[in-house]
Amino acid sequence: MTLAEPSLAAVLIVLSELPGVGPATLLECRSHPDPAALLGRVVSGRAHREAILEPAVSAFTRRNKAAGRSADPSEVAAGWARLAIALDPAEELARHRADGRSVHVLGEPGYPERLTEDPVPPALVFSEGDLSVLAGPTVAIVGTRNATRAGRDLAASLGAGLGRVGISVVSGLALGIDGAAHQGLVDAELPASGGRPIGVIASGLDIAYPSRHQRLHRDVVRTGVLLSETPLGLRPTAWRFPARNRIIAGLADAVVVVESRATGGSILTAGEAVARNVPVLAVPGHPTAPASAGTNDLIADGAILARDIEDVLVAVGRGGALDVVGGPVGEGEGDGLRPPDGPDEAAVLAVLGVDALVLDEVLARAGLSLADGSLALAGLEAKGLLERRGAWFERTTREARPGRTTRRSGR
Amino acid sequence: MLANVPSAIVIGVDGHPVTVEVHVGQGLPGLTIVGLPDASCREARDRVRAAVMASGVKWPNLKITVNLAPSSTRKTGSGLDLAIAVGVLVANEDLAAEAVAGIGFLGELGLDGSVRTVPGIVPLVDALACEHVVVPVAAAPDAALVEGPHVRPVATLREVIAAASGDEPWPDHDLPARAPRTQADLDLADVRGQAAIRTALEVAAAGAHHLLMVGPPGSGKTMLASRLPGILPGLDRTEAMEVSRIHSAAGISLSGDLIRRPPLRAPHHTATMVALVGGGTDAMRPGEVSLAHGGVLFLDELAEFSPTVLDALRQPLEEGVIRVSRARFSARLPARVILVAAMNPCPCGEAGRPGACRCPDGILARYRRRLSGPLLDRFDLRVDVMRPQVEALLGGEAGERSETVAERVARARLAAHARGVRANADLHGPTLDRWAPFDAEAHAHLTDCLRRGRLSARGLARVRRVSLTLADLAGHDGPLTKRFVSTALALRSDVVLGAGVAA
Ligand SMILES: [Zn+2]
Repeated sequence: MTLAEPSLAAVLIVLSELPGVGPATLLECRSHPDPAALLGRVVSGRAHREAILEPAVSAFTRRNKAAGRSADPSEVAAGWARLAIALDPAEELARHRADGRSVHVLGEPGYPERLTEDPVPPALVFSEGDLSVLAGPTVAIVGTRNATRAGRDLAASLGAGLGRVGISVVSGLALGIDGAAHQGLVDAELPASGGRPIGVIASGLDIAYPSRHQRLHRDVVRTGVLLSETPLGLRPTAWRFPARNRIIAGLADAVVVVESRATGGSILTAGEAVARNVPVLAVPGHPTAPASAGTNDLIADGAILARDIEDVLVAVGRGGALDVVGGPVGEGEGDGLRPPDGPDEAAVLAVLGVDALVLDEVLARAGLSLADGSLALAGLEAKGLLERRGAWFERTTREARPGRTTRRSGR
Repeated sequence: MLANVPSAIVIGVDGHPVTVEVHVGQGLPGLTIVGLPDASCREARDRVRAAVMASGVKWPNLKITVNLAPSSTRKTGSGLDLAIAVGVLVANEDLAAEAVAGIGFLGELGLDGSVRTVPGIVPLVDALACEHVVVPVAAAPDAALVEGPHVRPVATLREVIAAASGDEPWPDHDLPARAPRTQADLDLADVRGQAAIRTALEVAAAGAHHLLMVGPPGSGKTMLASRLPGILPGLDRTEAMEVSRIHSAAGISLSGDLIRRPPLRAPHHTATMVALVGGGTDAMRPGEVSLAHGGVLFLDELAEFSPTVLDALRQPLEEGVIRVSRARFSARLPARVILVAAMNPCPCGEAGRPGACRCPDGILARYRRRLSGPLLDRFDLRVDVMRPQVEALLGGEAGERSETVAERVARARLAAHARGVRANADLHGPTLDRWAPFDAEAHAHLTDCLRRGRLSARGLARVRRVSLTLADLAGHDGPLTKRFVSTALALRSDVVLGAGVAA
């Protein structure tokens, strides 16, 4: 350790890099009268004898044991010591402040206002992009990774629509709904007065996870802000996702769950929102649709029905869609798509609702032979009216119920 | 005194004649076998001696040398025992050379003098150019399948000695009852609904296209695969003989009846490499792939097979033959099969269904990696098999009967014969282009698919072949239309590769 007393931020960064130290432990370290002394105990290999750190050591020891590795607290503490000695706090702080990134410590200037009152505020937040975005109105859009085409389309249209009325969109940059919401917003290419993407991720800011979202990751940094409480270079371990979800809930004026299975991660986000008195909205689905089982449950439990963007705007006190920028709120339905050709294509399109179907289901429901059905599917795919994903055919709807939004938004 | 006795060995699926030369003379008493015998063959020494003595003949206390000619081929197994025993008896003048002239001997000897059957009776008898063949009783029905030699079944060495010395006639054994093969082919009519997979099976049969079925557990993939042989054309006499010979070489009794229907083999995913592709010992026993020759090889749970095993399948699938090489010789094992494979689309059983699949990305990626690339590319047909809907199972109309489908398949095969190939799967390159031109609309559609990345250049050739088979089945003549092309595309889903990957 360097001779100069390291800053609180630097100490907390090193502590947060120790395997097993989560948000709760770090928050306690932050509240400790002398965090630097705590780090000193870690360096001397006695973390397991420190009341604040002991639970984290024990938890990590148990995880090791479950994975069949060494299971002695003193060994874990020794491992922490080796790591802490290797990390220079000042250098770590500098590293996390390089390349346009910032470090924010709870209680110090520059820390996101919205999170200070949080029940479990992150002791440390890393950001990249324009943090001032957090000051404006925000809505979180979350949902399952493995979403239906209709779900992703709705998320994208909500993302863009919220942006047009100047509401920023908070999401987790996961595959499926999360990514679609931000992609929709980014693709709308709104002027500066529009809403912006706020990405909260479970990995370090330098790691785009999933890697398929590398480009979106960059776009969010460019047009909005990316946040994480995970130090640079760390990939997201399983426990970081629920922890990340609480930040999403904490940053939003309302949380919209677009699609979720009965036990999906977005149900946890909704729970975090309820704990923070943040309104929860859920998009309803057909009772038999697995992707809507969770959102239907939420509605049954009292969540606000989110049929379209108007419902969301009303929930955040912005009913009537004022101050539209970059085009009307509901823009983008069915644009540029040619209509179906002939009765077979119409029949196929008619049986393709929100649910994805496999070939045999399409044929059986549309009452077509394989040859006629294949011809119709090929025609619809060429027109961009349907999409084939693996074995599944999905209709490329822009909006489940076109018309309502545009009518009420006073285009 | 010197004796020559004809016998044979089997390597791979082929019999090779072997002349057992025995010399009995002065010298240190004992029996030496030369001519590249393997360990199991060298053990004949003890079996032959015990069997001769058990048959009431005095063992010559002389130096006995057995040469197995030609000496360039490795001799394996115990099938030469009987010939060696007869050779010793002739060389020692216990039997007259004329009494066994023109007779080939096949069979293993027990220590008590009994004559036991050996694997490969059909190729063995076939390899012997003799007027008479002496075989174990159990092997006689299969031996009789080979046209030409007169089969003499024996139960013991004692019977051979008695007959050859003229004391008794050649025995007249009751042969094991011929069990005619009543392979009740399963009928396609039992498959209700599922139009796509029914057509895929028909196309696979007609064009000999490999078929991959993708579907969750319980979607009846095994039930579907087992109905493919029933719509394939029967085997003609030459094919039946070839298939029967392979099964015989693998040690499977034919019960005296040729295999006339295309076989179906369904090895488990735990099967070893040797069990699957054959080889292993010097005898180079045919494996499951060869046993499926002329028929269907069904690999259920394809993703569970070891990558090395799957890799070893690629060459046979391409060439229709497995080449096994050893230091001194090599063998060609026939392996012309229609490969039908089945797999789950994803580990959770929800078949990757948007909004329902619970598989984490990492697991999906690993699952897909196992099967990616070259092997998947062998399948002209890749079809999704979902659980049949209840209404289709109960109310749905019964499918066409296998008999009706088989007639169309046979007609399509005739169309392929006219192109100079066995089936459309054998059409490649310029030949394929010549026989399968597209009309303008089909061409435009395919160009569009290629442009949008829905189809790769390699996939195009496979779509072309399948389109041609579809046209053959429909009795269509002339350039392929968009109707056939779009059906072929529908039967080639990017099931495993996930979204956005060209088929
Ligand atoms: Zn799955």
